Amino acid sequence: MSRWLTEGLLTHKPTTAYPARPESTAGISPGLPVPSSELTGQALEQLVSMCRVGALSKEKNTLGFDDGRCIHCMRCKGKSPKELEWDDSYEWARLTKLGEKNLAKLSASFKASLYIRTIDAGACAACLTEISLLAGPNYNMHRLGFFMTPTPRKADVLLVSGPVTDHMRDHLLEAYDSMPEPKRVIAVGACAMTGGVFGPSFTCAAGLSDMIPVDVVVPGCPPPPLALLHALLVLTGRKQQAEKIRALGSDRS
Amino acid sequence: MQDSLKEFISANFARIELQEHKNGQTILEAECQPGDLVEFCRCLFCDQHMYYAMLVVEESAEQWIIKHVFYAPSGEMLHVLVRLPLAQTILPSIATQVHAADWHEREAEDLFGLTFEGHPRLGDFVLHDHWPEGTNPMRSSFDASQSLPPGKQASDWQPIRLLESEGSFAMPIGPIYSDVSESALFVLETVGEDVLRTIPRLFYKHRGIEKLAEGQKAHDVLLLAERFSGTASFAHTLAFCRAMETIGQIQIPARAQSIRLFVAELERVRHHVSALAKLCASTALAVAASQASILEEQMLRLSCKLSGHRFLFGMNTIGGLSMDIPEELFRQVLQESQEVGGRLLRLRRKLTRTSSFLDRLQDVGVISQQDARAHAMLGPAARACGISMDLRQALPYGPYGDASSLHIPTEQEGDGYARMRIFFEEIQVSLQLMKDALETMPKGPVAAENADCGAGAALGWSEAPGGGTFHWVRTDEEGKVLRWRLGTPSFANWHGFHLAAEKFAFQDFPIILASMGLSVAESDR
Amino acid sequence: MIVKEILIVFFALCAAGSVISLLTKKAHLVISIFGSLASVSLVATGILGLGLGKPLNWSQWSFPIFGQMHFHIDGITSILLLLTGVVALPVSIFSNGYLQRYLGKYSLRSFGVMYHLLLASIAAVFVTWDVMSFLVSWEAMSVLSYLCVNFEHRHEENTHAGLLMLVMGEVGTLAIAISMFILGSAGGGLDFESLRLGAQELGPGASWAVFLLSFFGFGVKAGIVPVNTWLPRAHPAAPANISALLSGVILNLGLYGIIRMNLDLAPVVSVNQGLVVVITGSITALVGILYATIDNDMKRMLAHSSIENIGIITAVFGAGLVFSASSDPTLAGLAFIAAFYHLINHSIYKALLFLGAGSVDARSGTRDMNRLGGLIKIMPWTSLMFLIGAMSIAALPPLNGFVSEWLALQTFLQSATLSSTSSTLVRVTFVLCGAALALTAALAVTCFVKAFAMSFLGKARSAQARSAKPAGGTTRLSMGILALTCIALGLLPTYVIPKLDESVNVPRQRHAVESLVPAFFRPQDANPIMDKAFVDEFHDLGAQVGKGLLPGRGLVVLHRGQARNPVVFAMSTSYTVIVLGLLLAMVFLLVHLFTRKRTQKTRAVWAGGLENLPPELTYTATGFSNPVRVVFNTVFRPQKTETRHQNVARHFRSAVSKQWEVVHLADRWVTGPIVHVLDKLAHLAASMHSGRINAYAAYMLMALVLVLLAGHLFT
Repeated sequence: MSRWLTEGLLTHKPTTAYPARPESTAGISPGLPVPSSELTGQALEQLVSMCRVGALSKEKNTLGFDDGRCIHCMRCKGKSPKELEWDDSYEWARLTKLGEKNLAKLSASFKASLYIRTIDAGACAACLTEISLLAGPNYNMHRLGFFMTPTPRKADVLLVSGPVTDHMRDHLLEAYDSMPEPKRVIAVGACAMTGGVFGPSFTCAAGLSDMIPVDVVVPGCPPPPLALLHALLVLTGRKQQAEKIRALGSDRS
Repeated sequence: MQDSLKEFISANFARIELQEHKNGQTILEAECQPGDLVEFCRCLFCDQHMYYAMLVVEESAEQWIIKHVFYAPSGEMLHVLVRLPLAQTILPSIATQVHAADWHEREAEDLFGLTFEGHPRLGDFVLHDHWPEGTNPMRSSFDASQSLPPGKQASDWQPIRLLESEGSFAMPIGPIYSDVSESALFVLETVGEDVLRTIPRLFYKHRGIEKLAEGQKAHDVLLLAERFSGTASFAHTLAFCRAMETIGQIQIPARAQSIRLFVAELERVRHHVSALAKLCASTALAVAASQASILEEQMLRLSCKLSGHRFLFGMNTIGGLSMDIPEELFRQVLQESQEVGGRLLRLRRKLTRTSSFLDRLQDVGVISQQDARAHAMLGPAARACGISMDLRQALPYGPYGDASSLHIPTEQEGDGYARMRIFFEEIQVSLQLMKDALETMPKGPVAAENADCGAGAALGWSEAPGGGTFHWVRTDEEGKVLRWRLGTPSFANWHGFHLAAEKFAFQDFPIILASMGLSVAESDR
Repeated sequence: MIVKEILIVFFALCAAGSVISLLTKKAHLVISIFGSLASVSLVATGILGLGLGKPLNWSQWSFPIFGQMHFHIDGITSILLLLTGVVALPVSIFSNGYLQRYLGKYSLRSFGVMYHLLLASIAAVFVTWDVMSFLVSWEAMSVLSYLCVNFEHRHEENTHAGLLMLVMGEVGTLAIAISMFILGSAGGGLDFESLRLGAQELGPGASWAVFLLSFFGFGVKAGIVPVNTWLPRAHPAAPANISALLSGVILNLGLYGIIRMNLDLAPVVSVNQGLVVVITGSITALVGILYATIDNDMKRMLAHSSIENIGIITAVFGAGLVFSASSDPTLAGLAFIAAFYHLINHSIYKALLFLGAGSVDARSGTRDMNRLGGLIKIMPWTSLMFLIGAMSIAALPPLNGFVSEWLALQTFLQSATLSSTSSTLVRVTFVLCGAALALTAALAVTCFVKAFAMSFLGKARSAQARSAKPAGGTTRLSMGILALTCIALGLLPTYVIPKLDESVNVPRQRHAVESLVPAFFRPQDANPIMDKAFVDEFHDLGAQVGKGLLPGRGLVVLHRGQARNPVVFAMSTSYTVIVLGLLLAMVFLLVHLFTRKRTQKTRAVWAGGLENLPPELTYTATGFSNPVRVVFNTVFRPQKTETRHQNVARHFRSAVSKQWEVVHLADRWVTGPIVHVLDKLAHLAASMHSGRINAYAAYMLMALVLVLLAGHLFT
């Protein structure tokens, strides 16, 4: 065992400085497009037609962008005649209306420590990989007072990924009902926000907002760990939420 | 190569019609009457030692076309075809002889409403009990866009329990269990400490992507192929693109082939590192789990540097790749990957010297070679039982060309430790492949000029990190997908999972689960 | 003396009960009336007997062959009579409701007759004071208990169990008779006073023979390993009320015999004989609890647990014999008190548990703990009483089992203070046996956590358990009496110990009470026995605090009177209860204060998202005890364990099974081989029966010749 102890001690600390300082290492985020008002006319039409998931849209001759639908398919990246701006940051999480209301009456204990139950409601496992990395040394959410728990009975936050398949719906509701008050819900990724590429359909719902009240949404497919960390910080009022500008689509709250 | 098989069939099964289709790829089709099906398939599987890939059911306007796809390590591929009038929904089950077809037939029974006569265990499978009776979502008459009214999960669901001992009971694990886990239910039958049988109940994550794909443009289906199983996304898109490229007879530029190989191997490394991280975590070896987790994150960042996406989404397109990557970046990625490989070797050395870790892996979750073959298990799980099957070598495709010299690591024990060694070995093999690919990488375009496909049908396959994956695609004239059938490695390996999870102590369950390296999303689709 | 008269009233009530049972259809009612009255008179006899001060002897009736019948009541007898009465009273009340299940199936009349006669014969065993009447009462008790156990005689298993009980009992009686006759012939008479004289005349060889014969002879009835295999078979066969009597009273008869012989009539003087008792007792205790833990039949589990408790009593009694032989009378007195205390406790809580098990059996139709579960919702009262019994037997404070088991283990620990003259053998034995008893105590907790949790908590695992009905009034009343007795014996050890000391240690003329329950609450100057400095020290420590408030003398203390730092151990269940009660009340108060503003929500158990956890997916009794089975596999040595996986169509699993068969240790090593040898001999004898007349004529001739030869040789 001492071998592992020395091994652990000798490994340099890989933990990110976020949220104290922004993280800028390459490869931490796939980025999201930034809609700019400069795009017009045919270039705009072309861009919108490239987007197969309806994230880019034409709104009064300007480019609209719905971050809940974007799945980083990269088809709009570097393809349009006029370069679409691409944002490599990761602070994407937003509060819903309910989330904003709840944030005001947030109890102090939530800010110190928060227990999280993750639920896979039909995710492709990429989201889950990113969530499980949160507890790894690179992101080490424990230092910020966030912990995973196996039972919703002890959980403060439900982290739901996936479009909510028909088979998982009742189990998700059961878990939500089992949580003690006060409770919060984070919808992780495009699937949980809008159903992503899968829903709504005969097997999947259009995300979980129809089923349980959602406090924070994190766009991305999958949202990288730092975006998830941001979401948790936004939920506890320790970070500002993403600017609204990105969410020109309807606000799902 | 196919000749000996052809001779064998015409000599022994005179009534079976053999046809050869040449549509970019050569497909040998053996059409037989329902009456001959079972004996013929048994002969292929048991006597000719062919492998079972998957069952493809197609519903055309006037008839059912039901194909059992077999392949052999020597490169032969055979589709055993049965045609039935639409009104007839009963056909013989081959699962009693070809056990590998068991779950495929059960799935078809649920999704198409076909009845496989003689199958010992049909019923609640892909569609759980609460689906209305007679709902067969894969039938063409079913509207996939409709939202079904939320069905209430049957609260009186009972697993089929087989353990007959005084005081036996079952322990449920899931569908929501552990800290972060994919949703699946395991019912462990036990009399106390020793678990004697495990019943996995999957398809909690069934998203019906085969149905969703129907009528969509191939480029849109590609998004589904990419995202139904995020942990092996590149391998699945590769198989899907290859099927489409075969249909459209699209020539892939040499550079694209080379990059595809590089990226596919990169994904394999990342997948295996992730599996190893889970395995270390399951044995509660915190330092090793952390080390592996750091390496996993490093591989994800490398993937992102290379493709812009941490899980390599959006890279593959029909006809090649969506982007070119500068030489310099490749070198950097290769170099960093090799660093990861070096650190993995170090981790492996430490792990194999930790007796408390080995004790928990050795002789745990043992699968015999015979059982693994009968269940048509694939990938590292099968190679740990001594089955040297790898599609890169057996059915060399696209970037692999002639890969007969490929080193395929195999182990004989079939236990958790053997599977761990396979993961470690394959990472080193993949790193070597990446290095070779980069050395010989030609210059040129990365995508075919014209990537339009017409009508046709083809099978695409690739060796995903978890094992061989098969994508069968049929398109219409506009290039819309009519039928997309997936045979994924996790589906095959979950079928054999119960073999590893018999006769073990309860606390070994997470280890067995982690050592198999299975994905629920890939199986549930 | 009035004691004698009340005892005669008791016998008269038993006789009346028998006769009236014969005349009426409602024998169950007769039992509950006459049985209860008889029990009450027995209680009165016991209480008055305790007050006698010195033994009461009288002779009555002379029979041609047996001679004069002698009777005797002393402290030991009184305590056991009292105990018998206290157990028989609730059992008789319980019988009223319980026996109605047999109406129309078996003859309740005969049961009534047998029941009353059984009570009478039990009391007779205690009070007779000569070999012949003792043996007659003993035999009557044996046969009557056999008849009662075998009441449901239409089940073949019951008949087998009964026969085994009878046969083993007879072998035991034979051993007892021989040992008594050896003593009698040495003492020149068959009354017990002569036996006592005879014991002093015996040489070491004969003394060992008497000791071994009587110990294992009585041991059969008491249930000592390895002569106890009848016990776990008889209990499930017997009706619940008889089971309660069997464990609560009849096992005590065996112990009574051992105690009477080794403490009184032929006192053990050799340390080694004491060690035999200690070792046998410890093994009995460990084996008993091991089999109890893995058994899933409620009554058989309780039977195995009886064996365990008898083992503890025997071991502690043996420790007393060793201390006594090593001339440490205070420690010996302590051990005897512990043994008697445990004997009393065991009778009470075991009767309570058997009544509970019987009530569960009667109301749900099964005793299989794998098939029970969730009964607390249906039978809350029975569950509560059973819980009290289970907590007592698991030796949880503040109940009675804790007090006696604590005394017992402390006694074993005191072996360290034995004088240096004692051999290494003694020390090693005490260390090992003490460890065995500690393990036993730990396993007992496992065993009864399982028994209570698997039967009463969780979900019902069968239709029978789901459709159970609550127990009737008489059942509740009878169990309530026993449960209250458990609590009283647990809370008030300081009142019980002096009584035990008086009665048990009287024959030995030594008292241990001042060592255990010192009169600290008496005024400082009114402690004549103890050193004044010691009393002062205690008073300084605050022994007088709350003397008006706390229930009398609450502290059990073992001290070495004059030494510095005199206290060896101290314990008080009554104080514990008060402190615990206050703490609990405080916790409840605090919780209430802090959470009154919060709303509470009750939800089903979280089972990974499954909405309803089917009972098939919850732990069974087998599953709960399986770790014990695995760990002690070398003891159980299952005859066969087999795991099979069956397939259809080659690879489809169709059945998985795991079978194992456990044969009891004593059966495997002792009874089994003996039966085997007897079987062989019987076959040999059978070959003599050829069926030919001339052969039989030859046998007769040979026998005649042998008799004549023998006559010639020995005269």
